[in-house]
Amino acid sequence: MTEHDFCTNCGAEVGIYKKIMSSANLFYNEGLDRAGVRDLTGAVASLRQCLKMNKNHVDARNLLGLVYFEMGEYVAALSEWVISKNLRPNKNIADDYLNMMQSNPSRLDTISQTIKKYNQALSYCYQGSYDLAIIQLKKVVSLNPKHVQGRQLLALLYLNNEQWEDARKELERCRKIDVNNTTTLRYLKEADAVLDIEEDFNAPVKKKSIADTITYHRGNETIIQPLNGKETKLSSTIVNMIVGIAIGIAVACLLILPARISAASEASDIRIKEIGEQLDEKNSTINSLEQEKNSLTARVEKLDNELATYTGEGGTISSMDNLLNAAMAYLSNPEDTATVAGYLDLIDEGFVDTSTETFREVYNMLRSKIGATVGSTYYDEGMHAYQNEQYDEAVENLSKAYAYDNTNVDALYNLANAYRKAGDNVNAIANYQTLVDNFPDTELATRSQSFLNELVVE
Amino acid sequence: MINFEEELKKFHPSLEIEEATDAIYNQDMTDMADLLVSLIKEERAAGQSQE
Repeated sequence: MTEHDFCTNCGAEVGIYKKIMSSANLFYNEGLDRAGVRDLTGAVASLRQCLKMNKNHVDARNLLGLVYFEMGEYVAALSEWVISKNLRPNKNIADDYLNMMQSNPSRLDTISQTIKKYNQALSYCYQGSYDLAIIQLKKVVSLNPKHVQGRQLLALLYLNNEQWEDARKELERCRKIDVNNTTTLRYLKEADAVLDIEEDFNAPVKKKSIADTITYHRGNETIIQPLNGKETKLSSTIVNMIVGIAIGIAVACLLILPARISAASEASDIRIKEIGEQLDEKNSTINSLEQEKNSLTARVEKLDNELATYTGEGGTISSMDNLLNAAMAYLSNPEDTATVAGYLDLIDEGFVDTSTETFREVYNMLRSKIGATVGSTYYDEGMHAYQNEQYDEAVENLSKAYAYDNTNVDALYNLANAYRKAGDNVNAIANYQTLVDNFPDTELATRSQSFLNELVVE
Repeated sequence: MINFEEELKKFHPSLEIEEATDAIYNQDMTDMADLLVSLIKEERAAGQSQE
């Protein structure tokens, strides 16, 4: 084409065509300028306009592919480069771009993964699983930090969760990639509006007083110096140190001391438990020893009693000794009945009843041998005491006289009389009754019965 | 105030690498020059029919 509005070869009218081509170039230049200042959205719009004017504008197509690639829209970028390559197979920079993509399988795989994760995140959003979507989108932006749409969607989810600060961070990153993206700017405005309100609400009013400064001129310079700057700094340092120490102590009290106290308490609890267990064990030992002691004491008492029955007065040994002495005395001199009787009287009659058969036989034999003689002697002594009104002595001797000779009815009768006269009616009645029973049909029995009748009536 | 649901509708799934071929073939390649040529052709056809 020339400067004329017609074809110099065929004469066809090309004015409009030239204007279209000129407009395409205009849009291309605009897109190039916008891409230069990272207004990628604007660049895309201009370059697409250019390509609507002239689809064969290879540079515009290559640049559009590059802008798409920068925005993370890889398939769109590849499409543009492939078409560009077809339009101009040789000396086309798109060839380099495509080679760059195809020569690195891991990069291609990463791109594919990024797209899949982004689509998955979008699917989660449609399903209402916003938390899962956020997780997926974080992976997307970590795989491709320039994925604008991914960051925008993440920011939108943060805005929905009222995570204003996180949303703003994402949107700021979007703005660094694409400075004039209207979606980014709109979301950012929303986040900023909320955050500014919060900051205004929370921020303390801090105005530096003019009185805190001193202003003076030195030559052409105006010097503003804070008053008491050093003193304030020193005092504030000391105050900060004191506050720091106080905070340290407070933290120690709050965090370390409870742990120490808890540990000490646990240790003491364990110790107390151990001591308690030992105490229980010792108490149990003491109880068992006490029981053993009591049983041993009872056993000792029992043995003492048993021993006393053997060794004590009237005991087995003593009784045996007396019986042996009585036998010895009888064998030495059978006529010395008093000595024999003296030994036999020392033997308790109760012991005789519980002693062995041999002991009883010897005892009874000796008593029978000396019984008549000794009984007579005791009877005489008893009657003598009776006549002298010595009734206690009479009772003692007459009871022995009847014991040695149980056929002596006079001894029994006078024994009963002695009891009666001594005022012991109970024994008197018992002896009268014995007489009545053992010697019936005798005169003494008749007398005894009459006494019995009198005593019973009394 | 942003309407979350409405904003979400503006996001669309990205084409995957495997779908790049279809995207290329389905791309509308018509430009202003094509439209101009077609208009001229239609105008000529209309003129010839009137003659």
